[in-house]
Amino acid sequence: MTSTPTQTSTALSPRSVRDRLLRRGLETAAADRAVLVLHDVTKTYPNGKTALRDVDLVVPEGDFVFLVGPSGAGKSTLNKLLIRDELATRGQVVLDGQDLAKLPRRAVPKVRRKIGIVFQDFKLLPTKSVWENVAFALEVTGTPRRKIAPAVDRVLALVGLTAQREQVPSQLSGGEQQRTAIARALVHDPRLIIADEPTGNLDPLISWEIIQLLLRINELGVTVMMATHDADVVTALRKRVVALEEGRIIRDEVGGAYHRAD
Amino acid sequence: MIGFVVFSLRRAWQGFWRNALMSLAATATMVLMLVLLAGFWIIQTGLLSALDFTEQKVEVVANIKLDATPAEIAQLEQQIHALPEVAGVTFVSKEQALARFQASMEAQGRPDLTKYLDSNPLTASEEVKLKDPGYSKTVADALREMPAVRNVLDTKDTAQNVKTVTDILRTSGSVILLVIGVIVLFIIVNTIRLAVFARAEEIEIMRLVGASDAFIRWPFVFEGAMVGLFGAAITLVGLYLLAEPISSFMVDFFRVLPLSFGSLARDLVVIVTGAGLGLGVLGSWVSVRTYLIR
Repeated sequence: MTSTPTQTSTALSPRSVRDRLLRRGLETAAADRAVLVLHDVTKTYPNGKTALRDVDLVVPEGDFVFLVGPSGAGKSTLNKLLIRDELATRGQVVLDGQDLAKLPRRAVPKVRRKIGIVFQDFKLLPTKSVWENVAFALEVTGTPRRKIAPAVDRVLALVGLTAQREQVPSQLSGGEQQRTAIARALVHDPRLIIADEPTGNLDPLISWEIIQLLLRINELGVTVMMATHDADVVTALRKRVVALEEGRIIRDEVGGAYHRAD
Repeated sequence: MIGFVVFSLRRAWQGFWRNALMSLAATATMVLMLVLLAGFWIIQTGLLSALDFTEQKVEVVANIKLDATPAEIAQLEQQIHALPEVAGVTFVSKEQALARFQASMEAQGRPDLTKYLDSNPLTASEEVKLKDPGYSKTVADALREMPAVRNVLDTKDTAQNVKTVTDILRTSGSVILLVIGVIVLFIIVNTIRLAVFARAEEIEIMRLVGASDAFIRWPFVFEGAMVGLFGAAITLVGLYLLAEPISSFMVDFFRVLPLSFGSLARDLVVIVTGAGLGLGVLGSWVSVRTYLIR
């Protein structure tokens, strides 16, 4: 009843938003080049389950996108495609001008450094301090030591954790742990931040803190794509909302609410 | 490049001690497996030298005619030497034969009756050592044809039996060693796989932040090498401490055989170190492969 995209009663149909964004991407390619373009993407897993169907999505540079939809709608698969953990069965995934399907294996790590990922469960190393957790992302990508310290100090200042730099995750609050994870995602100067339900484990007040931080990072010019179930946040911020259901984009509206406005 | 190696070694060292329990479990398994391997290698070496010794015991004895002249005996020896199956010939004179007989009587505590003899009734003989016990029939036949030979003490059946038994023991020894090698490989690989699995989250993070395969793989490979080398060192120290009891056991076990253990110690160092290092590296390499870019 509500799942077919043609039935959406919002002012902008998904098709028209897509066309508008595609046009915008093409017309002013230099000004706001798309960080991410998905064209007719279908992903079917070897077990026959189709997680994404004919997905078209254009995310211009500097955009802030909420990705909403029930569990199993294809959000995780979408994330896996973006970091090229999986390849699309059909269609194109273009990240920062590079078609991921055509990428040689050797070049995959470099592309991943253009994306910073933030998880619901933070994924911090429990034995390392805040500073070491952030530095880890640079160390394992072969960054020279003399460049690591200034970069880590800079992002820790940005997320406001300079004072906690020597503490280990177990000494931090949930919000501080998530800010550490955001700092780690930022330390590579990524083009795109993917936040996979970053507030899922946090109470509402702390959630707002994290959202504010992501908004500030977005203002600094980093594109943010945030998957969330938090209806209040999505509705309040009136950013672009992309709704996935059963592997299809059923809604893509700028300034949308969490739920369809009908 | 140097930075990468330093990074990998440092991470391997940290990884080893941060998961100390897991690493020590892997090292303990490695030690057990290497001890097993070394133990069977020692037994195999003892077995082989015992077999060599037994085979050397197989010889063909040709008694020489009583009226043979020294010239004929010399000619006979030349003829025997000319046989391709012969490893060596020892001439036993009538006097030596008598002396041996007397010595063996004395050793058995029996009275020496030879003093009642007017002359030496024993014949001189040639003791022919064979390159392989399987040649005994050929050589015995050849000896019978030679003019100075009175008769040949035929050990055909004994020789054949020894040959059969030693062949079976050699083959089964090698098969057992091979089987143990395979078992050791699987156990080590699985133990290291567990150690790597315990660090899956760390590897996951490395992947997500864009670490290249080399940065993910080599610290683990070095860590596996560390487990292997530690294991080998512990095993070798243990074997060194046990060397004295082991060798006395071996001497007891194989009785008074003059076994040659000259190269065994050196072989063991090479095998244990090589196996430890190789298994550690291989185990990590295989285990971490699951987590690399598909």
